[in-house]
Amino acid sequence: MSDHVSPISLYITIFTALMVLTAVTVFAAFVDLGQFNFLVAMLVAGFKASLVVWFFMHLKYQSHLTKLALAVGLFFLVILLGETMVDYASKEFTPMPPKVDSDAEIGTH
Amino acid sequence: MSSTVAPADRHHAAHHPALQHHFNSMAQQKEAAVIGMWVFLLTEILFFGGLFVAYMIYRIWYFDAFAEASRSLDLFWGGLNTAVLIFSSLTMAMAVRSAQTNKRMATVNWLVLTMILGCVFLGVKVIEYSDKFEHHHVPGPNFVWASEHPSATPGAGEAAPGAEGAAAEHGTAPGAGAAAPAAAHRQLSLTPDQLQRTTQIYFSLYFTMTGLHALHMIIGIGLMSVITWMSWKGKFDAEYYTPVEMSGLYWHFVDIVWIFLFPLLYLVERHT
Repeated sequence: MSDHVSPISLYITIFTALMVLTAVTVFAAFVDLGQFNFLVAMLVAGFKASLVVWFFMHLKYQSHLTKLALAVGLFFLVILLGETMVDYASKEFTPMPPKVDSDAEIGTH
Repeated sequence: MSSTVAPADRHHAAHHPALQHHFNSMAQQKEAAVIGMWVFLLTEILFFGGLFVAYMIYRIWYFDAFAEASRSLDLFWGGLNTAVLIFSSLTMAMAVRSAQTNKRMATVNWLVLTMILGCVFLGVKVIEYSDKFEHHHVPGPNFVWASEHPSATPGAGEAAPGAEGAAAEHGTAPGAGAAAPAAAHRQLSLTPDQLQRTTQIYFSLYFTMTGLHALHMIIGIGLMSVITWMSWKGKFDAEYYTPVEMSGLYWHFVDIVWIFLFPLLYLVERHT
């Protein structure tokens, strides 16, 4: 069943990349990028996670079925996060009926 | 370690002692284990996913509170722990690699090093948690949010616990301009009373998320101590090291959770 044995140099490279990206995350947090601070932090974290999954967790060398299993999980995670966010975000701009009294406002948030 | 299995045995009825009778081959057995482990990790992703959703919503609602509370965390400890955990992922990958290449003692040593690093992480967490207790940053009746900025009123810390019960206003509408901006170092949309309540939400999430993460680490260290013992006894070889690899997958997953927790909890808004 000869499993793929990754060279040590690959592991060292991935480790170094992860450390550098951690430094990048910290550095980027101190720069005012407005709305993009969060986006940058999440993109870097996502990239770091991908490196771990792909090389440390050997997903690169696994069957398509295993990769599909992870894809399915991420798909549901996206639904969980995305749909919830869509719901909350749309509360802000969904046209509401004209205000009748102040009580009506409580329900909007 | 057991005697090496001749490569020719691989094809037919290898009958490695670790081969269960309901599998045709070691490869099939391994494949089943790998998929099973990944499916388990998916449930873990969605388990933490629920917490991330809660975090996202409250972060959007009470961003200023999250930014303030996040700044009270010590970036040094958080950064150190991130480095420790990433390093432990490397040592774990090396442990699996040593098992793959039939190096029994190297596997044991890498696993022990990984466990030590896990304990270092937990030790740092203990320092951080005790710091939170000291500063009354643990949600509950003793929670006190005193703004650390000099422009805030100095006595706010003492006044806050009493004010908590007196806060009779609705607990919603954070973004609404109704609240008078506090005279702090910058325009905060939350009054000190609101901060007292909303920073507790941040710390509730902080303790839940890091606490569950720490619990996973403790389980991981427990798993690894068993695996280390099994490696020591020579239960694994290049043909069969599935338990080492499965523990590795679990440990790397825990690392990934922290990769997200670190920026979400420590780096909400550091640039002001």
